[in-house]
Amino acid sequence: MFKLNLKIALRNLWRNWGITSINIGGLAIALAAFILVTMYFTFETGFDKSNPNYNEIYVIGRTLPDFKTNTTSPPLGKTIKAELPEVVSVGIMKMSYFEFPVTSKNGVVFLSKCLYLDYDAAKMFNIKPSGGLLRPEDSGQNLFYLSNENYKTLFPDNKSGKPEMIGIGSKSSGITGRISGSIYADPHSNIAFDAISVVKEMGVGENYGYNNYNTYIQVKPGTDINALEAKVNTIYKREMLKAGEDPNNKDFKATRTFLDPLKNQHLRPKAGTDANYKILMALSVLGILILVIACINFTNLSIAQAAKRAKEVGVKKVMGAYRFQLSIQFLTEILIQCFVATILGLIIAEIILPKFNNLFTVNLSIWTANSALFWQLPLILIFITLIAGVYPAMVLSGFKPALVLKGNFQTSKQSYWLRNGLLVFQFSIAVIFITGLLIINSQLKYMRTEDVGFKPEQVVYIKNLTIFGSPSKFDPVRDRIAKIPGVKSVTVANTVPDGSDGGKNRYTVDGKEQSLTFTDVGFDYFETLNIKLKEGRTFSRQFKTDTANSAILNEAAVARYGLTDPIGKTIRGCQNKEYKIVGVIKDFKTLGFEKPVEPTIYSINDPCGNPKTEIMLKIEESRMSEVLSTLKSQWPEINKLDGDNFRYQFLDEMYGRLFKKQEQLQSVFFAAALLTIFIAILGLFAFAKYITTGKIKEIAVRKILGASNLQIFKLINSSFFIMVLIANIISWPLAYILTKKWLDTFAYRIDLPILPFMMSAGLTILLTIVTVSIQANGAVKANPVDALKYE
Amino acid sequence: MIQLNNIEKYYANKGVKNYVLRLVTTTIKQGEFVSIMGPSGAGKSTLLNIIGMLEEPTYGTYEFLGENVTSLNERKRIELYRNHIGFVFQAYHLIDEMTVYENIEAPLLYKKIGSSERASRIADLLDRFNIVAKKDLFPNQLSGGQQQLVGIARALAAQPSIILADEPTGNLQSAQAEEIMELFKKLNQEDGITIIQVTHSEKNAQYGNRILHIADGVVKEDINVA
Repeated sequence: MFKLNLKIALRNLWRNWGITSINIGGLAIALAAFILVTMYFTFETGFDKSNPNYNEIYVIGRTLPDFKTNTTSPPLGKTIKAELPEVVSVGIMKMSYFEFPVTSKNGVVFLSKCLYLDYDAAKMFNIKPSGGLLRPEDSGQNLFYLSNENYKTLFPDNKSGKPEMIGIGSKSSGITGRISGSIYADPHSNIAFDAISVVKEMGVGENYGYNNYNTYIQVKPGTDINALEAKVNTIYKREMLKAGEDPNNKDFKATRTFLDPLKNQHLRPKAGTDANYKILMALSVLGILILVIACINFTNLSIAQAAKRAKEVGVKKVMGAYRFQLSIQFLTEILIQCFVATILGLIIAEIILPKFNNLFTVNLSIWTANSALFWQLPLILIFITLIAGVYPAMVLSGFKPALVLKGNFQTSKQSYWLRNGLLVFQFSIAVIFITGLLIINSQLKYMRTEDVGFKPEQVVYIKNLTIFGSPSKFDPVRDRIAKIPGVKSVTVANTVPDGSDGGKNRYTVDGKEQSLTFTDVGFDYFETLNIKLKEGRTFSRQFKTDTANSAILNEAAVARYGLTDPIGKTIRGCQNKEYKIVGVIKDFKTLGFEKPVEPTIYSINDPCGNPKTEIMLKIEESRMSEVLSTLKSQWPEINKLDGDNFRYQFLDEMYGRLFKKQEQLQSVFFAAALLTIFIAILGLFAFAKYITTGKIKEIAVRKILGASNLQIFKLINSSFFIMVLIANIISWPLAYILTKKWLDTFAYRIDLPILPFMMSAGLTILLTIVTVSIQANGAVKANPVDALKYE
Repeated sequence: MIQLNNIEKYYANKGVKNYVLRLVTTTIKQGEFVSIMGPSGAGKSTLLNIIGMLEEPTYGTYEFLGENVTSLNERKRIELYRNHIGFVFQAYHLIDEMTVYENIEAPLLYKKIGSSERASRIADLLDRFNIVAKKDLFPNQLSGGQQQLVGIARALAAQPSIILADEPTGNLQSAQAEEIMELFKKLNQEDGITIIQVTHSEKNAQYGNRILHIADGVVKEDINVA
């Protein structure tokens, strides 16, 4: 019996291969999207989940008047450990982002994320280096481990991961260090690192002012976290007062400590943004929505096919089939289709996965042994079979034989509003995504073509560890570089215009104190970056005072002080240093398009500045590769202190990374728009099929009465046209609000255009008419006699 | 075998009853070959549907094999279909996705007949109706008469005691129609199967031994054919 049903199912699916492939294909594509979203969700919510103490670890953070931070000072953790019995363990750690090379005779690796942590923290985070986690013996000892990849690069022959000696910094520095072994750096953890250094105690001798550590605590299971949070806060306040904090300090009064669970750290830390969490939730909802809609479309298409199966049901019933036997037969058929769709969905997901990984900068894979997908997939299969299958199985198996066997069977006209509603809903979602995509495109086009105020093209940024404080120190290096044919100009600064925030300080002009961003530069900074001057002059070697006390402001800074004639005015900065303003430059968008240009002061001599290490060159386009290879070969001589490794980046690429988030959004919207419109069209296809099948008799009668084909096309299309129009009208305000909100996150943006709204309406209407007409074509072209024969 | 008492069927529309059948009372005995005749819309098919339990009467009682089946639950009704009643349709209603063999096999599967018994019964039927060569063809590869032969073979497969046929020759040419009617007669006389058919044709009605004339939902005549 089952075999026969299976045979019939396959024959049926084969006979209607067009509908079958649309049904399976639509479901497969939706499933692929859902599988990817599920994998991404599992990954994003699974950070540190393999840690056995996952649910008991909290980070201590502070709420300051302006912001929240996870940084605390080392003594706080130590006091907590001593006083609170419910805290099992306290771990203190600190991440260093200072990039430096370590070398062996086999090669060099650059460490940019070094994690310093104490033994308790290492234990809490279940860190297992080669040879096991050792307890450092005294406060002087540190156990330094490289990540497996780095270790392998440096010591390819050492398979056991035993201790080795390395060079730190350039070879000429002569600094060496001992590494104790290698360690697996889990990318799926909140503490990501290239190397770790385990010490007995962190922050020895440092007091409550050294707020640059992260303190993690592990509590006893079942601890009342709110009570603990209050206790920690009490300790913090008490200790701060003991350390000499003024009890009347307003900022201190407003400061509180908080506990934030480890499981929230990745997606929604209290200190930080929960944007990723929101994106993940939106993505998950979208994924489920798409799958459910695809299932409903599947259902509709199956029922649209009902007329063909009605006879079979009737005959089988009079031959003695129970209704549940027929239900099971139909469910089996749908299960087969869902199964094929799942396999196809997996294949599609596998094909899209590299692009997806690239887009979200993750490294997901379907075929990993512990993939949660292996138990999720069968559940998904059952889930979709039930949503897509139960209703058609009920409807089909419920046909009354006396009705369907009379010969001329028409499906009943029931629950139109539900179908109409679903169609309008699907198209509304599609319209929102299409409109959104078009508006994102316009904004990105604007960002790519709009003048940013400087030219990052052909500017090469050289990574460098040497600090070039005064021009006299930089000049020998500069001269050597400038001599290379093709180099137009050379400069050094404390920051690169790639969206990184410079430091801020308070400056006074005419008795008015304001906070300004400061950028410490060398000569030729403005020329290298091709920044336009508004008035005055740029820094020049002809003016001896420029290396001492000249400053240049940008327009935004001038505006902040409200200066009308800034040239020649005196501006006073930190340590009461006084500068003369020699020039004003036009604003340029160092921070990209999202944040407005910061009021900035540029100076060569800044006693409170950050070290000038960032070298930038402007190179002739035609000689780029030549210059780079010359630089590479000469670099050890040019920059003796940091000469081993010539590493560079193109500034336009670095600046371009500022657009990455928006480009990511664009890709997501592109995929979502494609997917939603596809699924909406699929739904429409099923519905149009259903309607035309139901109207075959009406069409035949009208044709006999003299209606032209065009009139019949119009008749069938009109109701769909209205539905799509309603969908557009519903989604326009929504799309307007959403895109306006998005555009408002930009400091520099386009005005909200009307065209995208018109275009998405035009597109959806066009697609609707094409789909419906294709579907109606058969019914319209058919000979009316065939439809009316049995009457 | 069949006992109908005051069977009525009407559709109420805004308080007005539209009668399809009115006070039909009749008895059909085992081994009879009854033809129901009458003009279009007389209620012939409705009567047959009620006898076949595809429709329920609005009023009256119906006994089948001495059991009141006026309103029967699905499970019991289907038990009767499996064991006692075979249907033959004007439009044959073979299942398009099944071969001739599978179409005949289907009722046996529902009746849970063992596979060897199934095979022998089907072989027997195919042989008897001379359609052995056609057993692997699909219905759309057969002529109308051949399809109806398969339809009858399918109805007989479960070895019913009664066959209900709604204009079994309505779609057939006269030569094929004659062949089918001869077959019915043979089944009735040799195998003792009760047959009730709806027909328009006086000629076809002559194959049976009793004719029920219906007009406007009322049995006008009940005559025995010699």
